[in-house]
Amino acid sequence: MRTKHQRMKAVCAATCLAALAALAFAGSASAKLTGAYAQFSKCPYTNVEVKKCLYSPTEGGEVVLGLKKVPITSTAVLQGGFGKPNKETKFSTFYGSTDGITLSKAPQSVPGGLLGIVPPEKSPPLVKLLSAFFFENALTGVNSTLELAKTASDIKISEAHLAEEIGVALEMPVKVHLENPFLGKSCYVGSSTSPIVFKLTTGFTEPPGPNKQIRGKAGELELFEEGAVLQLKGTELVDNAWSAPTASGCGGILGFLVNPIINSQLGLPAAAGKNTAILKNTVNVASAAAVKLNNEENP
Amino acid sequence: MNRKATRMLLRGILAALMLSAVFAASAGANSWKFEGKALEGKETIVGAAFESSMTIPGLTTKCENFLYKLSIENVGGAGKGSVNELPLYNCTTNSKWCSVASIGAESLPWAAQTKVVSTTNYITIEGVKVSILYAGELCALDETWAIVTGSAGGRIDNTAETATFDATSFKETGTVLKALGSSIEWKGVFPTEAFQTHRLQALTVS
Repeated sequence: MRTKHQRMKAVCAATCLAALAALAFAGSASAKLTGAYAQFSKCPYTNVEVKKCLYSPTEGGEVVLGLKKVPITSTAVLQGGFGKPNKETKFSTFYGSTDGITLSKAPQSVPGGLLGIVPPEKSPPLVKLLSAFFFENALTGVNSTLELAKTASDIKISEAHLAEEIGVALEMPVKVHLENPFLGKSCYVGSSTSPIVFKLTTGFTEPPGPNKQIRGKAGELELFEEGAVLQLKGTELVDNAWSAPTASGCGGILGFLVNPIINSQLGLPAAAGKNTAILKNTVNVASAAAVKLNNEENP
Repeated sequence: MNRKATRMLLRGILAALMLSAVFAASAGANSWKFEGKALEGKETIVGAAFESSMTIPGLTTKCENFLYKLSIENVGGAGKGSVNELPLYNCTTNSKWCSVASIGAESLPWAAQTKVVSTTNYITIEGVKVSILYAGELCALDETWAIVTGSAGGRIDNTAETATFDATSFKETGTVLKALGSSIEWKGVFPTEAFQTHRLQALTVS
C-alpha cells in the first residue's frame, strides 16, 4: 500500500513537471520579436554557431534559363542564419530556417506557358500527337519555382563580398521546378545530384560568351535598432555564368517523350554563358545575439 | 561695311573678349598663399580636426583624435598637395552595440588640389581609403570591414583658416565617399595651419 502511495506521488510529481514544462515551452514559443527584429523569427539564433540572422526577400529580377526568360513577380524569401566568416575565403557556413523553409517556394509564371512548348518539326508523328494532346488545351499555364537543390548548409554566404561588390556573395545550389498538371509533380531542371549552382555577385560577372559582363550592386545600407540590424535596399545579386542540365521527371511515365520536348523548348542543356539570374533583393541582417536578447526581453 | 557697323562689330568682339576673360578668371585655379603671397616651394600643414564624424545611415563613427599631415605646393599657379598621414585614434560609434575595433588610413598619400566653385574655394582629396573594423556581439556589423573609398571636397574659409567637409561641400565639388556599397556622410572641420617655414603665417587660398 505504501509502495502504491509512493507510486501515486511519483506519477503526480511527473505530471506536474510535465505540465510546468509544457507551460514553459508555451511561454517561449509565444515570445515575440519586436520592431526590426520581427522578421528574424525563423532564424536559428539559439544555435551558438549562428552569429548573424538573414532575411532576404527577392522581390524582382529575372531568370533566363536557356531560351526562356522568366520575370520574378512573386516574392521568394531566403532566410536563416550564418556563422563567423572563414578568414581566408570570407565565406560563412549557412544554417537553415527553423521551420525548414530556407528558400520559400514562389511560383513564377512562365511567359507563353505550355503553348510555348511545341515539339520540333522533325519529331515522330506520335510525339506530335501527344504534344497536341498534352499542351494544346485550356490548361496551358506553367509555373517555374526555384527550390534549394541541397541542404541549407550547402549555401555559402560572404558578407564581405556582398558589401564590397567583389567576388561571389552568395553561392546557392538550386533546381527549377516546372509545374503544370500535365508535366507531373517531378518535372525539374537540376537535381540534388546535378544542381544548378548560382554564384551570385553584387559586382561584375565574368561569363563565357554569348553572355556579356553584367553588374550587380550592394544597395543602400541603413542600420536600425542601435546598429543591431542592417538593411541593404536595392541589392542586385547577379550571375550569368551558370550552366543548366536537362529537364527530368517531366510527364510521368511518358517522360521519355515529354522530357525531350521540354529540353528542346527550353534549349537544355544550356551551357554556361547562355543563362542569367538577376535577383533584386532587400537584404536584412541582424546580430543573432541581439535577436536572442530581443526574444528574451519580450516573453 | 560702313563705319557704324564696323564699330558695333568691334564693340561686340571686345565685349566677348571681356566676358571670356572674366569666365577664365572664375574657372581658373586658385593657389596657396601665405600672408597674401603665393607659396613658393613646399610647406607642410599639420593639424587635428576640431570635430569629425562619418555617418552610414543609422551609425555615426567619431574619432577623438583625427590628425592629418598635408604637404602643399603651387604647381603652374594651381594649389596642389598630398595627404601623407592621417592617424585616427579613440574612435567610437553612437551605437551601444557597435564599437570600432580597428581604423586606419590606407593607400597614402592621397592627392589634393584646390578648386574654385562659384567663387568659393575648395580643397578636393582623391583616392581616399580608410578601413574600419566594427565589433560587438550584438552589432550587425560585427567583424565587418567598412572600407571608405572615394573623394572628398572641403570648403576653405580664409578668415577662420579652416577646411570644412560636409554634405554641401561634397555636393559642390562633385565628390563622394562610399562604404559598404553606400554613400556615406563625412563631416569635419580642419584647421589649415602651416608647420614649417610659414608657421604662424595666415594661410589663404585664392
